[in-house]
Amino acid sequence: MTQPTERERDAMKPGRWVLFFRTCVVYQLWRFVWINLRMLRMIRMSH
Amino acid sequence: MSRVVILGAGISGHTAAQILSRKLGRKHEVVVVSPNRSWNWIPSNIWVGVGLMKPEEVTFELKPVYERMGITHEQARAIAIHPEGDASSPAPYVTIERTEPGKAGERENVTYDYLVNATGPKLNFAATPGLGPEQNSLSVCTYGHAAQTAEALKTAIDRMRAGEKLTFVVGTGHGLCTCEGAAFEYAFNLEFEIRNAGVREQAKIVFLTNEAELGDFGVDGLQLKRGGYVMPSRAFAESLFVERGVEWVTGAHVNRVDPGEVHYETLDGEMHALAFDFAMLLPPFTGVGLQAFDRAGTDITAELFAPNGFMRVDANYTAKPYEEWRADDWPKTYQCPRYANVFAVGIAFAPPHALSRPRKTKNGTAIAPAPPRTGMPSGIMGRVVALSIVDMIQNGAEKPSHTASMAQMGAACVASAGASFWKGSAASMTMFPVVPDYERFPGAGRDLVHTTGEIGSAGHWIKRILHHMFLYKAKGRPGWWLIPE
Repeated sequence: MTQPTERERDAMKPGRWVLFFRTCVVYQLWRFVWINLRMLRMIRMSH
Repeated sequence: MSRVVILGAGISGHTAAQILSRKLGRKHEVVVVSPNRSWNWIPSNIWVGVGLMKPEEVTFELKPVYERMGITHEQARAIAIHPEGDASSPAPYVTIERTEPGKAGERENVTYDYLVNATGPKLNFAATPGLGPEQNSLSVCTYGHAAQTAEALKTAIDRMRAGEKLTFVVGTGHGLCTCEGAAFEYAFNLEFEIRNAGVREQAKIVFLTNEAELGDFGVDGLQLKRGGYVMPSRAFAESLFVERGVEWVTGAHVNRVDPGEVHYETLDGEMHALAFDFAMLLPPFTGVGLQAFDRAGTDITAELFAPNGFMRVDANYTAKPYEEWRADDWPKTYQCPRYANVFAVGIAFAPPHALSRPRKTKNGTAIAPAPPRTGMPSGIMGRVVALSIVDMIQNGAEKPSHTASMAQMGAACVASAGASFWKGSAASMTMFPVVPDYERFPGAGRDLVHTTGEIGSAGHWIKRILHHMFLYKAKGRPGWWLIPE
């Protein structure tokens, strides 16, 4: 078995569900709307 | 009738030209001096660099767009500015040198009432021996460079398919580089494409950066709220690198690139060499080398420009240590202190200092990411300067009426980590403000409600939409002005 390097051991690693939700279309559609709203708020604050 | 001359047609210069043209109409003249005949949506050069897009998809010809919008386009580079005119006339002017075929090298003077310096950077490959596409490494800074890089990647993938194991080095080619985010994007798009090609096992990918730690991005890193904790962006960046099997070297100043080998010094002062088969290393930026003269012909370049060639504006340039940097050191109006009708925006203005803590090795080598001033902040600067000039022309305003300090504006950034509708992802980040303000936001320097980041397919979809939306806006299509910078 290959031992993890010190860096690999120190870093946070995403679990199975985090990886699943990153490309889950339904969840990402919700994030799409949310991120856009967040960006629009940022644009409004910066203009 | 007033004439506004804009030097450069990048994000800030082009934005300023569009807004000036729309607000001033045909009663006044807007002139854009740009050495290039095409406009380039630079953020998508990453995708050209991995072969997913052709240069034609990230560019368009400026002339027809400017003709339609009533903007005069001079295909030329600016050589010198004469803000007081000369002995024969007090009218300020810019000396330009044409770059269009048939007239290349011809010089002429263009007078102005208002001048916007939006020349962007000179890609200073010469700062590191052996750096650059004409020597031993690749780049994605221009669409031409990116297309060349895509060809090299194709060849590398073919070699790996034939069974070879190759080393890819992606990152910054000097200790004083900026745009670490672009290198980050390229590293992960490269990894994604190599994985898609089915040869990931054959590739060792190393991210070589001048950032003291991953996730710094030249903005001194971010603090993000996650799972009830406030965490540094370093933790998220390292997590992605480990997950995707990308190795990293931080705090690196590349001092030489030989064919197939990069030599660098790290913050501990140690010298290293790393053999590579493919290296995409970004160059540091300097100003484009504009000169300035007063009416008597005396060279006043050192007064108007910082030693790095960027133009001084209404910032506090007093040299001071990192601990004494203040958010209000940053400029608000981008007006030249000596000449009220001269402005500098985007990369062309001289920042008062970096955002990330500057560091030196025991050998005295500076390793300090330069502050990014591209993308959204760059567009906003172009907008506020254009609106201030409109007020000066139409209402006789004596001072710039619009401000946009990077210490009071936020930025939205989408960093691609692989381009595919179903499997792709990008890191979507917002930060407020861009310049940390530890007096307003003790501890984190930024508003923790408005400083966010996450990775997922939604980010990729947004990045793709932004690509089309900003090209639409830049082409001046109907309703372009409704799309914010």
